[in-house]
Amino acid sequence: MTLQPPAAAPAPGRTVLPILEARSLTRQYRMTGEIVEAVRGVTLSVMPGEFVALMGPSGSGKSTLLQLLGGLDQPTSGEVLLEGESIGRLSDSDATRLRRERTGFVFQSFNLVPLMNVVENVGLPFTIAGQDPRSADLSARIREAIALVELTGKERHKPDQLSAGEQQRVAVARAIVTRPALLFADEPTGNLDFRTGTGILDALWRTCVERGQTIVLVTHDAKAAAYADRVLVVGDGEVQDEIVLGRREDHAAAPLISRLALLGL
Amino acid sequence: MRGFVRYAWRALAARRARTLLTVVGVALGVGVVVAALGVDAGLDASIDRTVASMVGRADLRVAAFEETGLSAGTLAQLAGVPGIAVEAPALERKSYLVSQPGRPVQTAPVTVLGVEPAVEPRVHDLPLARGAPLSGDADQTALITQTLARTDGLDVGSRLSILGMGAPVSVTVTGILAGDGPELGSAGRTVVLPIRTAMLLNVADGAPAPTQVDGVTRVDIVRASGAPVDQVAAAIGAALTLQPYVLSQPRDIAASLRASTLDVRSTMALLAAITLFAAAIMILNTMAMTVVERIRELGLLRAAGASRGQVTRVVFTQALLLGVGGSALGVAVGVVLAFAAAAWLRAGGQLAIDGPVITVWAVAAGVAAGMGVTLVAAIEPARRAAGISPVAVLRVRADLGQLVRSHTRWLVAVVAAIGVIAVLLLPGGATDLSVPLRAIAVYVLLLVAVLLTPTVLAPLARLVGLPFAALLRLEERLARASIRRDPSRTALTVGALVIGLAMVVALSAVAGSARASATAWLADVVPGDEVLTAIAPVPVGEGGVDQQVSAIDGVQLATPLASFDLAYAGTRLDAVAIRGADFLADGRLDFTAGDRTAALRAVDAGGAVILPEARAALLHVGLGDTMAVATSRGLVDLKVVGLVARSFPGRTGDAVLVGWGDALNRFGVLGADAIAVRYAPGRQADARPQVEALARQLALAASPISVVAGAVGDALDRLFGLLDLLALAAVVIAALGIVNTLSMNTLERVREIGTLRAAGMSRRQVWRSVLVEAGILGAIGGLVGSVAGVLVGLLLGGGAGAAGPVDAVPWSAVGLAMVLGVALAMLAAAQPARIASRVPIVTAVRGE
Repeated sequence: MTLQPPAAAPAPGRTVLPILEARSLTRQYRMTGEIVEAVRGVTLSVMPGEFVALMGPSGSGKSTLLQLLGGLDQPTSGEVLLEGESIGRLSDSDATRLRRERTGFVFQSFNLVPLMNVVENVGLPFTIAGQDPRSADLSARIREAIALVELTGKERHKPDQLSAGEQQRVAVARAIVTRPALLFADEPTGNLDFRTGTGILDALWRTCVERGQTIVLVTHDAKAAAYADRVLVVGDGEVQDEIVLGRREDHAAAPLISRLALLGL
Repeated sequence: MRGFVRYAWRALAARRARTLLTVVGVALGVGVVVAALGVDAGLDASIDRTVASMVGRADLRVAAFEETGLSAGTLAQLAGVPGIAVEAPALERKSYLVSQPGRPVQTAPVTVLGVEPAVEPRVHDLPLARGAPLSGDADQTALITQTLARTDGLDVGSRLSILGMGAPVSVTVTGILAGDGPELGSAGRTVVLPIRTAMLLNVADGAPAPTQVDGVTRVDIVRASGAPVDQVAAAIGAALTLQPYVLSQPRDIAASLRASTLDVRSTMALLAAITLFAAAIMILNTMAMTVVERIRELGLLRAAGASRGQVTRVVFTQALLLGVGGSALGVAVGVVLAFAAAAWLRAGGQLAIDGPVITVWAVAAGVAAGMGVTLVAAIEPARRAAGISPVAVLRVRADLGQLVRSHTRWLVAVVAAIGVIAVLLLPGGATDLSVPLRAIAVYVLLLVAVLLTPTVLAPLARLVGLPFAALLRLEERLARASIRRDPSRTALTVGALVIGLAMVVALSAVAGSARASATAWLADVVPGDEVLTAIAPVPVGEGGVDQQVSAIDGVQLATPLASFDLAYAGTRLDAVAIRGADFLADGRLDFTAGDRTAALRAVDAGGAVILPEARAALLHVGLGDTMAVATSRGLVDLKVVGLVARSFPGRTGDAVLVGWGDALNRFGVLGADAIAVRYAPGRQADARPQVEALARQLALAASPISVVAGAVGDALDRLFGLLDLLALAAVVIAALGIVNTLSMNTLERVREIGTLRAAGMSRRQVWRSVLVEAGILGAIGGLVGSVAGVLVGLLLGGGAGAAGPVDAVPWSAVGLAMVLGVALAMLAAAQPARIASRVPIVTAVRGE
């Protein structure tokens, strides 16, 4: 396998702009009369092709941060720029179009449509967009995504004929089939055992390496975060630290765990 | 127990919308039951009141069989019967009041009742609103009803002129009878006269006035103290030998009136039971969904030490609360529905009903039905809830719904309970076993339709989804996926709709069939384009009305008709007097046996009869046989000269046909009830005004055949309209069930919807997918319901007379069922679709 250099490392003489930027991002909720600040003044950037993990304990605000970055939620204040365009205050239809064309999501629950087989579930974003997933071009893209998550041969299987890990891999294929600018994954291995979870992280890693897919992963698991090029440690709604691991084939968690230990986490 | 009640109450309160929909569903079921029982009791009470009004304190009634009435000789024989304390003769006939200057012009007839002023008060109460009672036997005095006084501007002291066979009879009003007075079927327009005065109405010009009471319609008899009714009846039977008569007791009259309403009452009861069936399915589904929704909570209770019995009690307490709420509301709905139904029936004039009677029994039966159905429907969900394994529930990724999804076979238990209630609801007096048997057959058929639905769900969903898929491919796929998520739930949801729509289709088939058989005879039998009807027999033959009409230019044929009764082998037969030559010329009557020409000529010659085929089969009489018919002059032989497919409808079936000669000379017929008029081709437009003018002059009502057919059809439509309304209650319950199911489906799919939204699905696409889901459910309900409805219709007697199986299908009703099913389901889906489209992605995709 040929490794591409992280896109964060620009070619000599060429300036590469961040694909995603957050500037002083804040998200407040009103709960029983009190204002709770889930995200507090976060500023960060993600470079094209980069695999970034947002890591932190439960309630740290990492999932809220991901939802803001992905345009699923709107910030109380601050700004999110996707490929230089602000997405923080989009209308519902614009936000829908953004999700349809430029972002992909993988969640803890795979939520496949039970009546549809693997090909149909993976091609669902095209169907949603009103395109014919059976067309030659889109069909090829679907096959490619299925191959990337190593499900070739199971194209006609229905969700109930697949294991949990396979279902989540279908969810990953569904998220990347439109070749989104950014793939967001929120605890994608949360419902899976270690071995199956590793398979999912391998699949995500391959999309990053083989297709240059930019990925933002939310996890509380150091072993999952160790797949990332860079780990942003989130706590109390803020990015408290940044751990740069670089692109590594072995995904060893030890360096990250030792760094986290140094931070007292 | 209090703890369970509080817990169950809080669970219901937490899901207010679903609780409300379920309560409304139960209430509609209970409401229809209470209304059906209330109308039933109202009909009973009205019949009892009518009978009491008709016979008063009489123990027996001797009624004339022939139009000529009971003769003086018969009355003399009756006077000699031992054990009789009072004999009250009465003469009844229809007539018109002669218009008086300064009074409102009325074209409606009046019923004239002649009584013995001295005897009548001993048998009947004739309560007066004002004025004085009748006094002398032959006074020119009259009592009139308050209704007649009001509509015709009359009062005590007013002079009335009543049309008779000769000169009008003039009387003075001495008293006003309270309300509508004593007579049934007179629409409150009754004039009571001394019997000898009333007899003058039957005296033609120049004829001598009668010297003794003769030709009375009936004699009401009060037996002497201590004389057994049966003995008096036997003595009357032995004494009266001069002419045929009908001897009846009040209970016979009541039974006869009840029998005439039995069809409507048993159909209403069946519909009530079927509505309960739909409600039971809806409740079963809701309870099952509630258990699925609360499975983790119930599992935690089990994990915390709650016993299976305690979990069962939680579910049952919840059902009990729903049952109490639904039943209480249902009683109120039922009372309103009963009053509306009674008003509808009364306004249509098909059934004599004063108003509904909401008895304690009706309320208790409604509440018992509501509670019973709710509790029985809770058995299966409660059993499943009790069987929840705490270990399975606490497993993070278990498909929890799978643990408690209901099985439709349990529906059999629910339906069995409903079936018992249905049989209890069937009106009393249903001696004919075919009524409950048909009800059970309908039940079984609907049950099979509901139970088969899960089997055909997938292919049917694919089939009915095709039109949706052509326009909205994604939404159709998602909708079908949702429908197949829990086939039991879908089957129960569709099941209620199947039942409601099946009844709509079935009633339409029965109504169509009833309408066809009620009007088809007009074209097949009546030799005319117009019918002139008389309220009292009019003379025929030389100088008769038929000849006067025939003389009008443009009239091809005017044939007289008279309906009367024949006594044959101890039974009463409906008979119609016809002129064979006219039928021969006009080509009416479809002969199935015998030579047409010979038969119609033989009828005119006398001593011959033509029988409707069905009547001949019932009487075991064939072509060439002789029937010995009882008359006041002894037995008369009539030879069967022909069999026809259809004849004039009578009270107990198609009428037998005899010639005018026999009718007038041997069977006591006084004249024609109707004249059928056939216009010469192309002359109808100019001849009709002259015929109608003559009809007005002779106090005859002229009705074109199309109007008669329309009137019959309209009356049937009104009756079936009420039944349709009751059937629609089941459809509404089904719609409530659809709201519940789609809301639950949305709740269960919230995570999936969130993911799809994150993948770029728009709110509108989500909204449409729920609507399409409802549309597919509605179409499946319409399709299965239509098939079941056609079969139920055949069971209930629909399709009679259809040319073939395709002709027997009420296609317009099938179309209506499909449209109604889809439209109602999509309407019911509006709110769940709205909720689904507003699912916040952030909340939906939040981790476990």
